[in-house]
Amino acid sequence: MAEIKNKESATKDPGRRPPAALSKTKTVEPITRRSFFSWLTIGWFAFAAATGAFFTMMLRFFFPNVLFEPVQTFRAGFPDDYTVGEVDLRWKDKYGVWIIRNEEGIYVLSTVCTHLGCTPNWLVSEQKFKCPCHGSGFYKSGINFEGPAPRPLERFKITLADDGQIIVDKTIKFQQEKGQWNDPEAILSV
Amino acid sequence: MMDKFRNTQFYKSIFRGGGVPKSRRQRMMVVLNSVFLHLHPVRLPKHAVKLKFTWCMGGLSFFIFLVLTISGILLMFYYRPTIEYAYTDIIDLAEQVPFGIMREIHRWGAHAMVITVWLHMFRVFMTGSYKPPREFNWVVGVLLLFLTLLLSFTGYLLPWDQLAIWAITVGSNMARATPFLGHEGPGAALLAIGDINFVTMGSDVRFALIGGRFMGEAALLRFYVLHCVGLPFIIMIFMAIHFWRIRKDGGISTPV
Amino acid sequence: MESFKHLIDTISNPTILFTATFLIFFFIFPINDWFDKWNRRLKLYGLWSKKSMLIVTFIMVAFYIVGLSDPDFRLIMLKPDNVPISGLIYLVYFFTWLSMHQAYENDARIERGEPLDEQYDAPNDKVLVWPDLVYIEFISLILCSAFLLIWSISLPAPIEEPANPTESPNPAKAPWYFLGLQEMLVYFDPWMAGVVLPMLIIVGLMAIPYLDNERSGSGYYSFKNRKLSIGLFMFGWLVLWNMLIIVGTILRGPNWNFFGPFEYWDIHKLEALTNINFSEFVYIKWLNTGLPDNIILREIWGLLVLLGYFLILPPLLAKTALKKLFARLGSFRYSIFIVLILIALTLPMKMYLRWIFNLKYIVSIPEYFFNF
Repeated sequence: MAEIKNKESATKDPGRRPPAALSKTKTVEPITRRSFFSWLTIGWFAFAAATGAFFTMMLRFFFPNVLFEPVQTFRAGFPDDYTVGEVDLRWKDKYGVWIIRNEEGIYVLSTVCTHLGCTPNWLVSEQKFKCPCHGSGFYKSGINFEGPAPRPLERFKITLADDGQIIVDKTIKFQQEKGQWNDPEAILSV
Repeated sequence: MMDKFRNTQFYKSIFRGGGVPKSRRQRMMVVLNSVFLHLHPVRLPKHAVKLKFTWCMGGLSFFIFLVLTISGILLMFYYRPTIEYAYTDIIDLAEQVPFGIMREIHRWGAHAMVITVWLHMFRVFMTGSYKPPREFNWVVGVLLLFLTLLLSFTGYLLPWDQLAIWAITVGSNMARATPFLGHEGPGAALLAIGDINFVTMGSDVRFALIGGRFMGEAALLRFYVLHCVGLPFIIMIFMAIHFWRIRKDGGISTPV
Repeated sequence: MESFKHLIDTISNPTILFTATFLIFFFIFPINDWFDKWNRRLKLYGLWSKKSMLIVTFIMVAFYIVGLSDPDFRLIMLKPDNVPISGLIYLVYFFTWLSMHQAYENDARIERGEPLDEQYDAPNDKVLVWPDLVYIEFISLILCSAFLLIWSISLPAPIEEPANPTESPNPAKAPWYFLGLQEMLVYFDPWMAGVVLPMLIIVGLMAIPYLDNERSGSGYYSFKNRKLSIGLFMFGWLVLWNMLIIVGTILRGPNWNFFGPFEYWDIHKLEALTNINFSEFVYIKWLNTGLPDNIILREIWGLLVLLGYFLILPPLLAKTALKKLFARLGSFRYSIFIVLILIALTLPMKMYLRWIFNLKYIVSIPEYFFNF
């Protein structure tokens, strides 16, 4: 295809070499793999690949396979330990959660502000969580209503053990904006 | 007595010129022969020695950097970067170590260096010294400013007190929101095949920074290494480039 | 005295403080001939005389000393990590004065046809590094060391309670030099305020020598021929950086509410901060319908506003108000310049939208963590 084009343009342009010479050079030097990838090119590619692999290795070095972090599942007593309509602060310091009981059931709110991870304070008189870092405010349900927090507080998985105790699993979280709060494990109906 | 000492072979072997440099030639040789003074040219335009022109802020930044390096090395003899010991080591530094103001010098020096670097940048801007041929040195200078702030920020965590941990919690959570690279940043959700997310709490840029999903032991160690070795190493390379380029770009800027 | 403190507290309200600053700023640092004309008519350049410097210094010192008699003011200003701020405020003022003073002096010399203050006759006017520079450096180092030593002996470095990952202090502040960024975090999402904007500050600073293609004006203080570049730099450096730091340090109190410098930090101070998104303005307030479920339909108005701001405004300005600048910079430099400036301007704009309309986000897609 390219050859035909060359021939045409060559015939139109008298200053160019005749088509015969063109096709001759093509047959003399066919495009082989070797001439395309000269040794130098291969060398550079190998060098780039090795450097890339080395930096990937260095990057991967920052992500260890085993983490030594505290256990994220705990038992939180019996449902009757919690009063309807109150925010329970007893697990806040140890596990970073509030356990709240309302008419529907019991849910577990994360104490990590969705803005930048500070710990909001529960202000009883104003019935809201207020973050001291940048002023985000959340209702008792965890829904954000003021300040810069982009989304509601996260809820954690809550289930009942065989002995009737509450088990909170912090590794599984439910986000309201993804519609996950309707999940049966996001709220424990009592 | 002093003159006699200056004439000994020993003195002359160290300070080549001998004696106090008096002639113009001797004074030039002092600068040329000293590895430290040779940072300077031999002669300068007259406004380059006026404080009202230079404010001396660049020089002071470098000097404070040296003070911070020395006081920092001294602090490393006592400080252990673990959650168990970090806080008590800092308390001990003030109370159990003679001349326990090394931490004060380090901390206040760090604040002072941030201010001097800012003012140096301000002076360079106001005299138009970023203009050709010094564009690239301005770029290096901006990098140095950025590294200065990073050094100061990483050092903030090390006492492991309330001030430290919350400043770093807020700071590192910003990394969580990096577009594409943080697990709560825009675009991160797009980097997934089916249900498998590539950018999660355990694999994003915040994790690389604090070495875990939660602020703890690993974060302290990573910031310690960055503060004491990693960032000083990088900043020294850029400082060398910065100083070299001042000379190569024609010294202090002058009206054309 | 009490009424004076009350006055200061009142004008420390961010809306008043920033509005006043924005109104006055470009008359003090005129960016074009129109502002310059008014600067001359109002004799605002008098600020850069030696007499003004002494007066301002006196006012600042007097305010500081009088202020320290107030317990609330004392609490903020003498918090150990805030002490450098007092120094910074005065140093930034002083060096702004020093550079502008010399710039106006040089401008006057040029006008009279005299040589610049920095003019020298090479090579006759050259001085030797040893001893002319070396002794100045030596004295500076000694003074600096003495200053650091005295500071370190007289003021212990701050140390608070041991770290407690479940209890954040109220207010929880970053180191003072990052409080400008922390202030931005109130108005922008973390990916903007914490990542994109800092990156753009760095990139923007690096781009200065390549965007400012006016070759002259290097190596001496001057203002007249560099009005635009100095005015814009001053706006970023003084208002958007240092002023935000000062606001974040002094005026932000518990729960990140605004407090005047003499106001008691009441933890229960109530502020109506119920913020709503632009989409809610459009659909709920103006059209009286519910929010549509479709994300694109919901956010289309905000996206249109952003598109108009970043894609239509720049060429429009190039044709009208910034015609001369466009001709000077060329289209490539102009595009980068205008985008950087427009992004920088979103900060004050979002501040006002927040204060006046309680607007939270123009585009809000929390499903994909994209909020602007």
